[in-house]
Amino acid sequence: MNRNTNKFSSDTMITIIFSKFLKINWVIIFCLIFLGLVGVASLYSAAGSDWNPWAKNHLIRLIFGFCLMFVIAFIPSKIFFKYSILSFFIGVGALILVKFIGSGSVQRWISYGGINFQPSEIMKLSLILILAKYFDHISKIQLDKLSPYIIPIFIILIPGFLVISQPDLGTGLTLILLGLSILFFVGISMKLVIFSILISFASVPFIWQQLYEYQKNRILVFLNPEMDSLGSGYQIIQSKIAIGSGGLFGKGFLLGSQSRLNYLPEKHTDFIFTLISEELGFFGSISIILVFCLLITSIMKISFKVECLFSKVVVFGIGFLIFLYLSLNIGMVCGLLPVVGAPLPLVSYGGTSLLTVLIGVGMVLSINIHDKKV
Amino acid sequence: MKNKGQKKLERTVSRRFIFLSLLKGSIIGTIGWRLFDLQLVENRKYEKLSDDNQFNYRIIPPERGRILDRKMRLLAGNMDGFSLVLNWNKDLNVHQIIKKISNIIILNEKDIINFFNKIRHQKNNYSKKILITKNLSQKDVSKLAVRSIEFPEISFSMSKRRVYPQGIIAGHITGYTGPYSDKNIQNSSLNEIEVGKRGIEKYFDVQLRGEFGRKRNEVTSKGHVIDSQIYENTKPGLDVQVSLDMKLQAFAVERLERGNYELVSIRNRKIKKQISKLKKITFVNNNYVFINKKKKVVNPQSGSLIVMDVNNGEILCSVSSPGFDPNIFSRDLEVNEWDNVKNNLRSPLLNRSMAGVYPPGSTIKMAVALAALESGIIDYKTKFFCNGSKELGTSTFHCWAKDGHGNLNLMQAIEQSCDVFFYELGLKVGIDKIAVMMKKLGLGQYYNVQIHDKAKGVVPNIEWKLKRDGLNWSLGETLNASIGQGYLLTTPLQLVTMVSRIANSKFAVSPSLVMSSENKKFNELNINVEHLNFIKKAMEKVVVGTNGTARHYKIGSKNIEMAGKTGTVQVVRISEAEREQGLIKNEDRPWKRRDHALFVGYAPVLNPRYAVSVVVEHGGSGSSVAAPIARDVFKHLFKL
Repeated sequence: MNRNTNKFSSDTMITIIFSKFLKINWVIIFCLIFLGLVGVASLYSAAGSDWNPWAKNHLIRLIFGFCLMFVIAFIPSKIFFKYSILSFFIGVGALILVKFIGSGSVQRWISYGGINFQPSEIMKLSLILILAKYFDHISKIQLDKLSPYIIPIFIILIPGFLVISQPDLGTGLTLILLGLSILFFVGISMKLVIFSILISFASVPFIWQQLYEYQKNRILVFLNPEMDSLGSGYQIIQSKIAIGSGGLFGKGFLLGSQSRLNYLPEKHTDFIFTLISEELGFFGSISIILVFCLLITSIMKISFKVECLFSKVVVFGIGFLIFLYLSLNIGMVCGLLPVVGAPLPLVSYGGTSLLTVLIGVGMVLSINIHDKKV
Repeated sequence: MKNKGQKKLERTVSRRFIFLSLLKGSIIGTIGWRLFDLQLVENRKYEKLSDDNQFNYRIIPPERGRILDRKMRLLAGNMDGFSLVLNWNKDLNVHQIIKKISNIIILNEKDIINFFNKIRHQKNNYSKKILITKNLSQKDVSKLAVRSIEFPEISFSMSKRRVYPQGIIAGHITGYTGPYSDKNIQNSSLNEIEVGKRGIEKYFDVQLRGEFGRKRNEVTSKGHVIDSQIYENTKPGLDVQVSLDMKLQAFAVERLERGNYELVSIRNRKIKKQISKLKKITFVNNNYVFINKKKKVVNPQSGSLIVMDVNNGEILCSVSSPGFDPNIFSRDLEVNEWDNVKNNLRSPLLNRSMAGVYPPGSTIKMAVALAALESGIIDYKTKFFCNGSKELGTSTFHCWAKDGHGNLNLMQAIEQSCDVFFYELGLKVGIDKIAVMMKKLGLGQYYNVQIHDKAKGVVPNIEWKLKRDGLNWSLGETLNASIGQGYLLTTPLQLVTMVSRIANSKFAVSPSLVMSSENKKFNELNINVEHLNFIKKAMEKVVVGTNGTARHYKIGSKNIEMAGKTGTVQVVRISEAEREQGLIKNEDRPWKRRDHALFVGYAPVLNPRYAVSVVVEHGGSGSSVAAPIARDVFKHLFKL
């Protein structure tokens, strides 16, 4: 696996690390650093030109996350394969645990030693891993039949519904969408896909009844934000005002009136893109989206290149996860989607989503380093 | 080696990979398009919305112009007022704060009620400033400011308050201001704007008001103002100078209200006893009341008194009694103050001088005489016989003198105010010609006087009655009109204008409440000057003649004497039965049934300068009550 042909190098730890270091995909690292720093700058602006309370923490978390990412990048990707089932059960266990000991008004968090931890985020990675492992295993038998998809459906729906019942519709739907996209990716029959789309449309009224009042409200208000311009619709109206008033070049860094005067709700977490759009304008927001696209395509390129199905699915899953984060978040803030609570990875303040993405990208890098046989 | 299945899988995965990439691309594309739409296409709209969020514009009211009298005395001005404001947020214990403040200064009960109403009607929980009271004295401010540490939530703000230093004396003329209100506009910031509601304040509102400035506040989503700058400057209002002479006005108010009464202190024991039995008695300067000749406590006379310059129409004094103090409107109107004004049976808010209508009685006999002279029906020597009454058809029309005046000519008829003479005259001339003359002299019409509430009065003629009632004019009605009764109604302002025109003899002067800067041009009067001089002579006789109705009230100065005409107006019809039983004396009737006392006149006799009209409501006879008031006013005017 490792290149040991250099005659000056012996098989020491340092050389191994060094050689692995050379194989790191630097485009991905550049994108991550860029986005992370955009996050720090935006949080600095969101706090009214202050490093506290968010920007400093975010920077520390970024540094910690990058270290973790590099460590994971150097772990042989076999390990992920080995522990994928275990990670899934740990994840599901944590989701059940959070039902009982969860803190906060909605049970999404586990607090331990001053660190708040959101199991649903890590679950996303576990789901990718177990699905990848399953299909890698099953591919040796047959994939074009229907029966092999029954177990994965359960694998997806169990954590999905656990998260929705927290209640966290956004993350739950992200999980389900992520799982389904992997099913689609590995070749579930087109007929079935169309059939299930029809089924899900038919079940909309049933699902509607199962939703919590505030979730129903969010969807209703999404369809018509002016319905409740001071209540639930307030967020989306103010968010659109902030984005729209940004114009081509924005109001200037630190000068966004909507954010400065506190018209933006959640401006440091889910709505941080609004602040960027207001202060940096169309150019700023499109640049950030383009960097995200570059990150996603770089990851997808790795997925396309690797041969091992497990690695292919894992890398695809992580790339798709970032895509989901991006499109849900921006779709939400610019009024294309209902407000479901999806952070913008690396930019939004919030440790768990940052960690999820960095661990995920760490795995991608590891696969890129170890799995490539070319 | 890869088997067939695996190869197929790889192909599928690759195809799906491309398919998903396209899907992702299109989703990102949609987002990009959306941003393009929001930020570039609809940018203007959202920029405006963002500005609306960021800034809130407040109107800054300019300082209102002053109202001054002809000698630059202040009639209406502005005083610094202090407001107490609570910086409210939802966590405050409002009741406790108000209680604490009440321990230090006295808060008006009405202010407290208003304040709690405002608190109760809060629509949201955003913190904001809520007014506690507008009427804070300098003392109160310093009392609270010393203990400001205990009240971190309250703050003071300065505002201008309208003040009328002359108080009750000229309330009808100055009018008052009040908060702007329009049912169609519900903008709370507009409620703070004071606009003229009556009188000069209303008529010259635009001029007095000045131009509003605007302030631009930067506000947070919670409503905190973090920055404020003047956006447009205010332009202060212009001063208005009115033609009134406040010294004369003050004298006239006092003189009119006194009538023939006597002023006594309420400390007097007998008086005290009387007051305690009576329900509603108006005090004079809080410590005095009027008593009549029978030593009974009475209310001040009510009525009107106007002095007008016969040459340019300037009104020097316009009294309407009872008056009201416009200052009560610029404080937050207290309930009992308002009730006093509203429930007073003598309606203090009515401007009797300009909007009050009265039958003019004998005061219009000059007009009837002029109508007869102008039409050539009679001459100066024509005589009629008065035996005390005139029969017309089945009815009898009485003269005020029960036994009649005998044979008399026009001059004597005016001097003694003989009714029968004017009945005959009226019959000869006819109502239509009388009406034309009355209109010429200024009755039955509005003037361009600078006040909104005024009345037109009635000058009846044949057509008028047909239009109003669909009935034909009867000759009896002509008789009534000839002595200023019946349908005929005039305002005191019209009467003084009539006298001014007679005294002026050349021009049809019309009244004005502001100083006329240039020599005003009036229309020609177009009445034979000889006839007018004859009438003026007759009016002089009323005062100086041996039988004149006002002969007891000469000015008595060598150089200056007044001329005029008395009028006593019957308010209720006297039936034949009552007449036979003997008339009840005016003072013995209930107030509402007593006669109105009127006097119109001018002075000096030679080269007239001022005209006056006095109306004392239910005052009794014009000669004994109204004429002495007019005489004293002239005495004051000419400093005699």
